[in-house]
Amino acid sequence: MSAISEPQAEGFRLSQLIYDTRYRSITIQTVALILIVAGVWWLVSNTIQNLEALGRDFDFGFLGQPAGYDINQLLIEYDSQSTHGRAAVVGILNTLLVAFIGCITATVIGTIAGVLRLSKNWIVARLVAVYVEGFRNVPLLLWIVLIFAIVSESTPHPRDFAGGEASMLFNSIAITRQGTWTPAPVWGDGSLALVIIFILSIVAIIGFRMFARRRQEATGEILPVLWISLGLLILPSLIAYFILGGPVTLDYPETGRFRFEGGLLVRNSLIALWLALSLYTGSFIAENVRGGILAVSGGQTEAASALGLRPGRTMNLVVLPQAMRVIVPPLISQYLNLTKNSSLAIAVGYMDARATLGGITINQTGRELEGMLLLGLFYLIVSLAIASVGNFYNASVKLKER
Amino acid sequence: MKASVFFGAMTVAGLASVAASAATLDDVKARGTLNCGVTTGLAGFSTPDANGVWEGFDVAMCRAVAAAVLGDPTAVEFVPTTASTRFTALASGEVDMLSRVTTWTFSRDVDLKFEFTGTTYYDGQGFIVLRELGVTSAKELSGATVCIRTGTTTELNLAEFFRINNMEYEPVPVETNSEAQQQYLAGACDAYTTDASGLAATRASFENPGDHVILPEIISKEPLGPLVRHGDNDWGDVVRWTVNALLTAEELGVTSANVEQLAADGSDNPEVNRLLGTDSDLGAMLGLESDWAVNAILAGGNYGEIFEANIGESTPIGLARGLNALWTEGGLLYSPPFR
Amino acid sequence: MTAIDTDTSANIDRSAMKISDEVAIEVTGMNKWFGSFHVLRDINLTVYRGERIVICGPSGSGKSTMIRCINRLEEHQQGKIIVDGTELSSDIKNIDKIRSEVGMCFQHFNLFPHLTILENCTLAPMWVRKTPKREAEQTAMHYLEKVKIPDQANKYPGQLSGGQQQRVAIARSLCMKPRIMLFDEPTSALDPEMIKEVLDTMIELAEEGMTMLCVTHEMGFAQAVANRVIFMDQGQIVEQNEPKEFFNNPQSDRTKLFLSQILGH
Repeated sequence: MSAISEPQAEGFRLSQLIYDTRYRSITIQTVALILIVAGVWWLVSNTIQNLEALGRDFDFGFLGQPAGYDINQLLIEYDSQSTHGRAAVVGILNTLLVAFIGCITATVIGTIAGVLRLSKNWIVARLVAVYVEGFRNVPLLLWIVLIFAIVSESTPHPRDFAGGEASMLFNSIAITRQGTWTPAPVWGDGSLALVIIFILSIVAIIGFRMFARRRQEATGEILPVLWISLGLLILPSLIAYFILGGPVTLDYPETGRFRFEGGLLVRNSLIALWLALSLYTGSFIAENVRGGILAVSGGQTEAASALGLRPGRTMNLVVLPQAMRVIVPPLISQYLNLTKNSSLAIAVGYMDARATLGGITINQTGRELEGMLLLGLFYLIVSLAIASVGNFYNASVKLKER
Repeated sequence: MKASVFFGAMTVAGLASVAASAATLDDVKARGTLNCGVTTGLAGFSTPDANGVWEGFDVAMCRAVAAAVLGDPTAVEFVPTTASTRFTALASGEVDMLSRVTTWTFSRDVDLKFEFTGTTYYDGQGFIVLRELGVTSAKELSGATVCIRTGTTTELNLAEFFRINNMEYEPVPVETNSEAQQQYLAGACDAYTTDASGLAATRASFENPGDHVILPEIISKEPLGPLVRHGDNDWGDVVRWTVNALLTAEELGVTSANVEQLAADGSDNPEVNRLLGTDSDLGAMLGLESDWAVNAILAGGNYGEIFEANIGESTPIGLARGLNALWTEGGLLYSPPFR
Repeated sequence: MTAIDTDTSANIDRSAMKISDEVAIEVTGMNKWFGSFHVLRDINLTVYRGERIVICGPSGSGKSTMIRCINRLEEHQQGKIIVDGTELSSDIKNIDKIRSEVGMCFQHFNLFPHLTILENCTLAPMWVRKTPKREAEQTAMHYLEKVKIPDQANKYPGQLSGGQQQRVAIARSLCMKPRIMLFDEPTSALDPEMIKEVLDTMIELAEEGMTMLCVTHEMGFAQAVANRVIFMDQGQIVEQNEPKEFFNNPQSDRTKLFLSQILGH
């Protein structure tokens, strides 16, 4: 008994804080915590002190003042007399727009490239390898500027269309060095009904899929879900369009004094940013997809084949569900990267949140601290939202192991 | 572009770490150099020459201040700033003064807590367009695409001009003058708007300046001048009176050629003697040597000499004195008396 | 063609298992190359319904490749394979038909890790045989009981031991109600104490009269269950015989050498 309790009787020595593995980690954590708290306190108190010394206050009132500047790409109504707050919202929506379409195209490009890189066709696999390595290993900013230079200098000037030196595609699309004009939809009477029918047909597709699954479980019959879904998606809206007498018409762009009037203008800044972000992020996603497919062992496909499953079903039921587990987590972080990288928009004059709230507003009001904090908060919220969707997915598909 | 993100973020760090000292004059003297914020490159105003030596109208102002304070016009560290990074650079103490075609406005003076130390160039915002467009007035620009530098007063003036005249336009935001030039020449915008002086400087650098016209409308008042941080009155005085000394020197006929002789021999005009410190010691009141103004004038000459050498009619920029002539010659330049 | 004619193979019916005259698999003049490597040379093999054949041989002898050719996991380049009267060609319908007749177990089990044990067993019946879910689950539970792990039905493969996984793999194949079972080294990846539980399951299957082709080095299993042992080397069938003869009186030198190595342990 005494022999066992003897080490405890030794008591606590100060050196144990550093050399004893039981206390060591606590010591290190405590020291780190003290340093971090001290550092943050120093930064905050210095900032407050210096703001005071400069006679500057900390105030978000500028968000309610008229912005005074114009923004070219608007998803909501805005003019130069709107507030800085509204300008920030315009920029935020522009950021979300380019991030959203960028994520979609990056995923499409990345998936295709990832699959093609595994192709047995030597030329295809090499070409994709060149694409992937080229985009992954050159800074994004260079691609944005390069693509912008290409789209704006290799295309005709809007005035050339009036003079007949350039002509529109299908008489409706004009690709120019200021942007691409396409016909814009005009929502006439009855458009609402059309939209409702379209939404209803999406609901119907979801319902049909549930029905198809129950039916298979009950009778074993497998319905052609894909084709019926596609039919449900398109046909009702198409029929309704003609019954309602074509409520949605197109407004075609026409040449004006300086440029095109009417139609929908997709600016080169958006095109360049979108393309560059998609191609750049797509090259990373391609590697994720390739890795994900390689991670599913050939044995899985063989086992499915041996059970008589056709290759399409094998892909859908066996390979993809497993590959997705490997692909999705890095895919989510690529979405995060793309969203944050979209702040390079100012390089080509795309008016995103960084350009309005974090750029012009800060310059015109001098509220850098407030503006940058708000901008940081915005990106933080967007990133956390994307990440939580990803975490939710990961948790729901996590493999159970012993 | 990226730099402005960086500087924007650095503002927080800047405000947090470098306490902008209230005694800039002492700091400059102790450091032995003047940190002067200039543009990233605008012909005639501030641009590095082939050897990397900064030159131009705004640069000359920095050199005059350095000469007045330190006795050496070359003791200047030029810090290139963009329109969007300039105020942060000044507020954080990274530079001691800004001399970079910055417009004096109420909000900058009052809300941003800066102090403008006088107007060195009376400017106004204009437009440049391709001659072949056949546009003769800015009022014909409805529907045009206009390149505009973000974070500038011109951006606000442009919005107001088109709003008042009930015209539509498409702004194409650009960050620097060279970017604006490239976009304008590439046809990404039909017109480029900035201060008329800047337009002249920009056009001078084009391959075929004759293909471009500067429209007659001047749509704003743009008094450009150096600025310092608010609250450091001693330093503000030094910069303000250095500029005034250059103006007064032109008015009194003191040039870089005769200033040394006038300082040595004295003059019949008492104000010249006061300015050059031969009579009374105004320099000491500023906390400077008595020959401060002599050094300032020696650095690049008086105001008129600086103007002619950098942006005047004999230079490629080719600006007439116009509003920037002395009051005695029908211009707006008017220095308070040295007394 | 074969070293043993039908009559003899019927005579060695030691464990009272019925072997019919009906041909289950007929392989004639099969050749296969991997690139320039000639992996299978002139394989001729007739398997009768109810036969239990063990295939052994040194690694790289082509034994796995041979049985993988039977359900088209590998493509043969020459010769003819007829399974249950259907000739294996590039016709997808024939391949589907044969695969639904032939079950297969792998060395590494190849269970689907994202599905439960039950789902592993019902996947193919539902999507290939178009069996209603309840019926598929009943069948699955029947076979899971048979391999003695019905209580694991709702677990995932990763939660099971290797032996249990292999038994699930056998049950999964049985759910498709195959008439022929192929085993590709089913015990090679298992710890010794788990080998027995898998072999017991296989013996039980054999006793029910399942036609089985089994690549294995378990010579105890061969002696207990097989009615024929085939020895392969360098892509050829070197020798085949009933187990007693095969082990006691091997004909070729290569067989002798192989047996001395494998039994010497």
